[in-house]
Amino acid sequence: MAHGSGMNRTRRAWARAALALMACTCGARGWAQLPAEPPAVEQLPSKPTPHWVWVNDTSFFAYPDGRAFLVDGDSGKMLGMLSTGFSFNGVLVPKAGGVIYSPEIYFSRGTRGTRTDVVTIYDATRLEPVGEIEIPPKRASILPMAGAQALTDDERFLLIYNFTPAQSVTVVDMRSRKFVGEIEAAGCALVYPTGPRSFFSICGDGALLVTTLTDAGTLARHVRTAAFIDVVKDPVTEKGVRWRDTWLFASFEGVLHPLRATAAGVEAEPTWPLFTQQELAQHWRTGGLNHLAVHGGSGRLFSIVHQGGPETREELGEEVWVYDVASRKKAQTIAMRNKVGSIQVSQDDHPLLFACAMEANRLDIYDVTSGRYLRTVEPLGQTPALLVTP
Amino acid sequence: MPSSIDALVERLARNMAQRISRRSFIGGVGALLFGAAGMPLLPVARGESTTPARPDAATDPGDPQACEYWRHCAIDGFLCGCCGGSGQSCPPGTEHSAVTWVGTCHNPGDGRDYIISYNDCCGKSACGRCLCSRHEDDKPLYVPFRSNDYNWCPGSKVGIAYHCTVARIVGVAK
Repeated sequence: MAHGSGMNRTRRAWARAALALMACTCGARGWAQLPAEPPAVEQLPSKPTPHWVWVNDTSFFAYPDGRAFLVDGDSGKMLGMLSTGFSFNGVLVPKAGGVIYSPEIYFSRGTRGTRTDVVTIYDATRLEPVGEIEIPPKRASILPMAGAQALTDDERFLLIYNFTPAQSVTVVDMRSRKFVGEIEAAGCALVYPTGPRSFFSICGDGALLVTTLTDAGTLARHVRTAAFIDVVKDPVTEKGVRWRDTWLFASFEGVLHPLRATAAGVEAEPTWPLFTQQELAQHWRTGGLNHLAVHGGSGRLFSIVHQGGPETREELGEEVWVYDVASRKKAQTIAMRNKVGSIQVSQDDHPLLFACAMEANRLDIYDVTSGRYLRTVEPLGQTPALLVTP
Repeated sequence: MPSSIDALVERLARNMAQRISRRSFIGGVGALLFGAAGMPLLPVARGESTTPARPDAATDPGDPQACEYWRHCAIDGFLCGCCGGSGQSCPPGTEHSAVTWVGTCHNPGDGRDYIISYNDCCGKSACGRCLCSRHEDDKPLYVPFRSNDYNWCPGSKVGIAYHCTVARIVGVAK
């Protein structure tokens, strides 16, 4: 027994020692061991929030490598990215949802070889290509702007401005996902939709070329209007924005030109000044790359402004001035935290103002109602130029 | 050696640049473009000629690698002088664009206004050096041949890969 008791004591001692060792080595950490993680890929919600924004980056210093960044304006979080090829302009976000359209250019050897132009269709939740429509290799290679491409009002046809340097418009049927054809637009540039089957382009002499499409997307008719501007004296920038049935263009000297779509075509409405005489005397001007935006619900026009000379139309701005379009009155000034070249505004009842510049790889976000700066997302891309909200 | 088309375009360009004023030139461009979609008739020469010698510093003052250089009054791009080329010539292995935009710049050296052809050099990715963006009399995209927001490599044999931009004198603006 004594021997047996001694054995038991020895065993108990060893057992206590083993337990103590286990507690020491495995202890709390051992019990909280992290589980193995299977490979995973994020997926976006099926419906974007109104405060999402696509930051389209033409990657001017690495032109074959365009990118579109999706950012949540409320959190400042980057949600995902598309890789969008050479001389990228921007994505189009159809209201019907589910997909993103992206006109893209590729060369078979990166910067050389065979050029292929396509419209890539991405799934909006997985950000993966799910379709591709080949189009003529003619899309204009330009500094990014909204007028280079647009959907007709019913989102059936995608219109793309070509420059080879011959000028024309490519029409793509997004329902059948097929290239329809090319419409000549000699002497006229860009595309501004005015209805489900119509759009206009601006011509070198200050006139408009109004194009009507058939239901098949082919040319029904062309009508050329009288000149609505004097291109030599005071041209408008090509960065027009649309409010309801009216396109709003700002001239170099700060005159707003409304162009209203009618059943008969497009009518130039009376112009109105963006600046008072006093403001002009203080050298306030519009400026920037994509310098206008519109909030549809409130009828507010947002315009980047700066103080500068007559040749400074692409200069970055320190302020955004907000106008009530109906009363033609300035309603608000929003001071920019950083100088800005491109803006966009969300279309909900509590809108955010998004601001960026090709000269800086960041996105600034403001609350429109209070005019308050909220946050900056940086670094973001290389040369962000065109902002698109859902 | 320039082809006969090159020589013709060069001659037309020089004649036009010497005959017309800056104002009438701008007005005429719109009319020229309307209906000229298939055959660009431009006030510029095609590339591939030998590099011209740069005039002396007294009559052509300034640094061609500086954005402030007088010829750069309407340029928007990377200066080829910083990329292996010069103010007037493309870097090795690139192609001189066949068509381009033009500006009218004042030369402080001799007091004259010159028509400047801003040809892009094409076929490689962006040089990325000496970015210069100036807009004296620069026009929107709907006046293409006065607009520096286009990539002017379309029409070159090597495609639209943009590398840098030169600033060549085409003639005196009278």
